[in-house]
Amino acid sequence: MTALACARVRVLLEPYVDGDLAQSDPEAARAVRDHLVTCSDCRHQHQQAVSVPFRMKALRSPAPPASLVVGVMSSIAPQPRTSRAAWGLLVPEALLGAFILWYVSGLDGLTAIASGAWSNLQGLAFWGSGTAPLPNVPVADVLLLGAFITLTGIAAYHLSLLAKLDQSATPHFTEHRRA
Amino acid sequence: MHAQAAAQALPMTGTPDARALLAAGQLAEQATGGDLDAFEELVRRMQRRVYGFAYQHLRDLDEAHDLTQEIFVKLYRNLARYDAERPFEPWFWKLAANTSINYRRKRVPMPTDQSADQATTGSESGFPAHDPALIDALAQLDPAYRLPILLHYYADLPLDQVAQSLSVTVPAIKSRLHRARALLRNSLAESEEAGQ
Repeated sequence: MTALACARVRVLLEPYVDGDLAQSDPEAARAVRDHLVTCSDCRHQHQQAVSVPFRMKALRSPAPPASLVVGVMSSIAPQPRTSRAAWGLLVPEALLGAFILWYVSGLDGLTAIASGAWSNLQGLAFWGSGTAPLPNVPVADVLLLGAFITLTGIAAYHLSLLAKLDQSATPHFTEHRRA
Repeated sequence: MHAQAAAQALPMTGTPDARALLAAGQLAEQATGGDLDAFEELVRRMQRRVYGFAYQHLRDLDEAHDLTQEIFVKLYRNLARYDAERPFEPWFWKLAANTSINYRRKRVPMPTDQSADQATTGSESGFPAHDPALIDALAQLDPAYRLPILLHYYADLPLDQVAQSLSVTVPAIKSRLHRARALLRNSLAESEEAGQ
């Protein structure tokens, strides 16, 4: 068995310390042991190799803050009632929509609005292309169309607010950070 | 009277004393069924090890807090995937390890950080280190080596569970641990030489 160089011994130190080297290559383990008897530098490295696992196990960490469990439990808590109640914002839109539907007398009224709106749009298109004079759109139609557009805008705005509210109900990890 | 009757009607595993006797896996199983008290008990039981693991990995009290919270929230959201027939700890630490890796990836380096991978050491982290040389050496380790070291020697997981947690074979994890310890040893030797 030839003597091992220091560099080779140092590569084998951890498996030697764990006893793995003795199992996988007993001859190499014996050579490392012989080298350690004669080389003080490698002996020092061997002592370090032995001590590292113990030093790792002895590492101390701070105790977790008391707020940790509370923070975790509040992060996973069911969605708060206030968030659900916020959906009540849509009630005015629903009421207004129902009123308009009732006012235009259900399906017949809707069909009339749709056909009226279509003929108005066609008239505007013809006027735009220069083939017809400016159509005479009834004021009530314009008001109704305006009410629908306003209603759609308000409903979209409220829906975006509700979507943001739902996102904010998900865990927020940075709120415990120090200032 | 009614309260007493109701308390007697509760299953034994629902009482705090009985819950304290349950294994982590059983608590996880109960939590999967919507038992928040069981989940809270599980968090209380594991918080010290998880927080310590997060702290040793990041060396920052605030970030350790954030990461620990993220690990537990992710645990809660993934409870349905836990197979109660299998041991809880490897499954949990795999989730913790993956969360830690992702946390480091998305971590925004502070303006004072010289490197995102160079963790603060000693009292800089807000907690006095009793083995600053080892802390320094750990901070210099690549996260690929630091994670198995922390899981095995700090979280006290056996080799096969570390291997399962990091989705590698036992020989591979052994080899990685040997390499990590050799790197630590070299850093310790260098710091000793520098101190002399």
